[in-house]
Amino acid sequence: MAMFLALCLGFGGFFLGVIGQGDPIGVHGYLIAFVGYLLLFLIVHSFYSPNPSPKRVTRYFDDPTKAGIILAMLWVIIATFVGDWIAWLLVFPEATFDAGWSSFGRLRPVHTSGVIFGFGGNALIATSFHVLQRTSRARLPDQLTPWVIIIGYNLFCLIAATGYLMGVTSSKEYAEPEWYADIFLTVVWVLYLLLYLRTLKRRKEPHIYVANWYFMAFIIVMAILHVFNGLAVPVSLGHAKSYSLFSGVQDAMVQWWYGHNAVAFFLTAGFLGMLYYYLPMRAQRPIFSYRLSIISFWGITFLYMWVGSHHLHYTALPQWVQTLGMSFSIILLVPSWASAGNALLTLNGAWDKVRDDPTLRFMMVAAIFYGLSTFEGSFLAIRPVNALSHYTDWTVGHVHSGALGWVAMITFGSIYTLVPWLWGKKEMYSKKLIEVHFWLALAGTIIYVFAMWNSGIIQGLMWRAYNGEGTLAYSFIESVEAMKPYYVARAFGGFCFFLGTVIGLYNIVKTIKSTDLELAAPPDKEPIVHSSDALTLQTAE
Amino acid sequence: MFKTHEKLERSTIGFAVAIMIAASIGGIIEIIPLFTIDETVEDVPDMRQYTPLELAGRNIYIREGCYACHSQMVRTLQDEVERYGPYSLAVESKYDHPMLWGSKRTGPDLARVGNKYSDQWHVTHLNNPRDVVPQSVMPSYGWLLRTELKYDDLDRHLAALKKVGVPYTDDMIDNAVADAYGQSDPESDQASGVFERYGDDTNVRAFDGDRRKLTEMDALVAYLQIMGGLTDISQVQTDDVNTVTKNISGE
Amino acid sequence: MTFDHETLVAFSKSYGLFYMMGFFAIVVIYAYWPSNKDKFDKAASRILEDEQE
Repeated sequence: MAMFLALCLGFGGFFLGVIGQGDPIGVHGYLIAFVGYLLLFLIVHSFYSPNPSPKRVTRYFDDPTKAGIILAMLWVIIATFVGDWIAWLLVFPEATFDAGWSSFGRLRPVHTSGVIFGFGGNALIATSFHVLQRTSRARLPDQLTPWVIIIGYNLFCLIAATGYLMGVTSSKEYAEPEWYADIFLTVVWVLYLLLYLRTLKRRKEPHIYVANWYFMAFIIVMAILHVFNGLAVPVSLGHAKSYSLFSGVQDAMVQWWYGHNAVAFFLTAGFLGMLYYYLPMRAQRPIFSYRLSIISFWGITFLYMWVGSHHLHYTALPQWVQTLGMSFSIILLVPSWASAGNALLTLNGAWDKVRDDPTLRFMMVAAIFYGLSTFEGSFLAIRPVNALSHYTDWTVGHVHSGALGWVAMITFGSIYTLVPWLWGKKEMYSKKLIEVHFWLALAGTIIYVFAMWNSGIIQGLMWRAYNGEGTLAYSFIESVEAMKPYYVARAFGGFCFFLGTVIGLYNIVKTIKSTDLELAAPPDKEPIVHSSDALTLQTAE
Repeated sequence: MFKTHEKLERSTIGFAVAIMIAASIGGIIEIIPLFTIDETVEDVPDMRQYTPLELAGRNIYIREGCYACHSQMVRTLQDEVERYGPYSLAVESKYDHPMLWGSKRTGPDLARVGNKYSDQWHVTHLNNPRDVVPQSVMPSYGWLLRTELKYDDLDRHLAALKKVGVPYTDDMIDNAVADAYGQSDPESDQASGVFERYGDDTNVRAFDGDRRKLTEMDALVAYLQIMGGLTDISQVQTDDVNTVTKNISGE
Repeated sequence: MTFDHETLVAFSKSYGLFYMMGFFAIVVIYAYWPSNKDKFDKAASRILEDEQE
């Protein structure tokens, strides 16, 4: 079965390569074909390895989670490096080697997609497999699907990133991949949803733990968003280029309906799922209020969908839609702060642990940044504030306080919790290096965010400043010049953060390789698997 | 009632459906009304489609990610109207699949940049921005001038756009390739067809200064010069900027 | 579509608010219904059990 899929991938890619001659889609075709044949080779190769023990079906299936975590770390290193590189490009604009692929416009989506989908997506998929099995006390229903999801998803990320370098982009922010990559991702995503539902069906716990609610909202809503936002008509099967089904004001609304809900359900709901499992586990305390987590779950699920239009204040979008977006953005603060408060109150009484344990501190800081950036988000959604902040670096700072402070910090906390468990080690290789990573990440984030606050507000004020005669006080280029010191500071902050991720990966690799950290007994209790389940498992493989 | 929720939590599929419903409401309520009406978009008789060359330029604009640093949306704020020109109307991006309103101004807004600078200025600026604006942080796009435009498939691009609702005629689609060439070479036989199909006001000239070679620079400059010029509607906007700050659309 | 634009907008403007308030009430009542307390407490601590054994 796995061979068949790899073969399909190989032939499919080859077909795309042939009909797409002379177009970037052809390059991608051959890339897909290459990956297909490589997988085929690996699968055939694995036939020669010894048969796995039949007892494996009574345990949790964690290999895809392991792969996902390593991939997430690799992506975060690449993507933050590219991000820092383009931050420097704004200081040294000549550094593009006179080539297309290296210019700001093409590298920016490599950075954004690399961080959101490469790092965030892999981390979410990996941890969701882990959380799902533990909280359901059930093994994933088969071995093939999780691998198809991990490999397929990363192939999508690879197609996306290489495509941007060649200039393949739909220009839809945070959804830049073209139609063929979109279709491919849709297939992978449906498999992911089905795998989630199938595992939940096998669960031995009567209640579905709240972390899974968030993961499910993440999977389901992203599917809806992705499909609608991606609707487009390709020029031909041999063209990477397609034209969006929507235009003008409708397209703007659809794009920001997608864009803001990608923030909501990818970067918020998914990572809250992570928080609701790994934070209590690391602190060894149950969540402060389970009831509050229910309220904030439904609050977030329901409210976020309304707020996308706050990206379009004072534009040609009808005003009632803008007002609706603004109002709901403000109400949204309630469930957001409920979650942040819930996380911090869980730690209340365990502050000594937070002081001594950098991993737990990562999670605490994440919760604080979550609270701060949701407050900032609601604030920026108010129309008069938005008049000043929109189009400036303030938005960039806001996004990064969420992405670096919340998303990345909760992920690093979760990964440092998870790695020793998965690989059966007592603890991480070096607590000191976690400490170093923590301070680099925190300092980097703060420098970045402060630089962008300053530059953003100055930009906004300069653009609207009038002199005594009642004419505009500054030309646009004067505002560009004024940004230089902040752009240097931002690039430096970004570099600190990047350095932290490299140290993180080094620490993880060392932990996996070390032999003296080995635990005598595997940490996880074997799940209860009925013999009938075990039987179906074997026939499925 | 609580039994229902309990059941919901226990039945996986039911739970999934509940998430879907709760999440969809907001999107449905906000977006559907935008589609049922043509009133969100003003009706302008003089609105024309992009010519094949301008479309090719627009695709280069997208390819290079220009939208990451330049918006194309003048908001209804006094300083923006004074800095950039009349505020943008919904109708002006009616044929934009996708729209390029943008979200960030690392560089200035471009919605009204058409005919503001000469072709020569654009060519020099794109070739190396610092030749004309010393403090600029924009990348150089030197290869645009060296790369020949791929335009033999523009008819298929127009056909695809027609499928998503842009009113290109069969005549326009059939002559797309010739029109792309003709627009950048006023002395060629193909030039007259461009006026015929897209109107007498269409810019027909050697945008990059060399009429014999059709480069990517030709296309991109052709696009930059038509920005804000597909319709004259914005020019009839009130000159009294004080009334502008009051939002035009909606109630 | 048989609805005209005005109807849809009016519906959007009014229904959204009622729907939200109703939705909020249901969720809060459910979360704080006394007989549910036990279940939630159990769910919250259940995930920790493996490690403590």
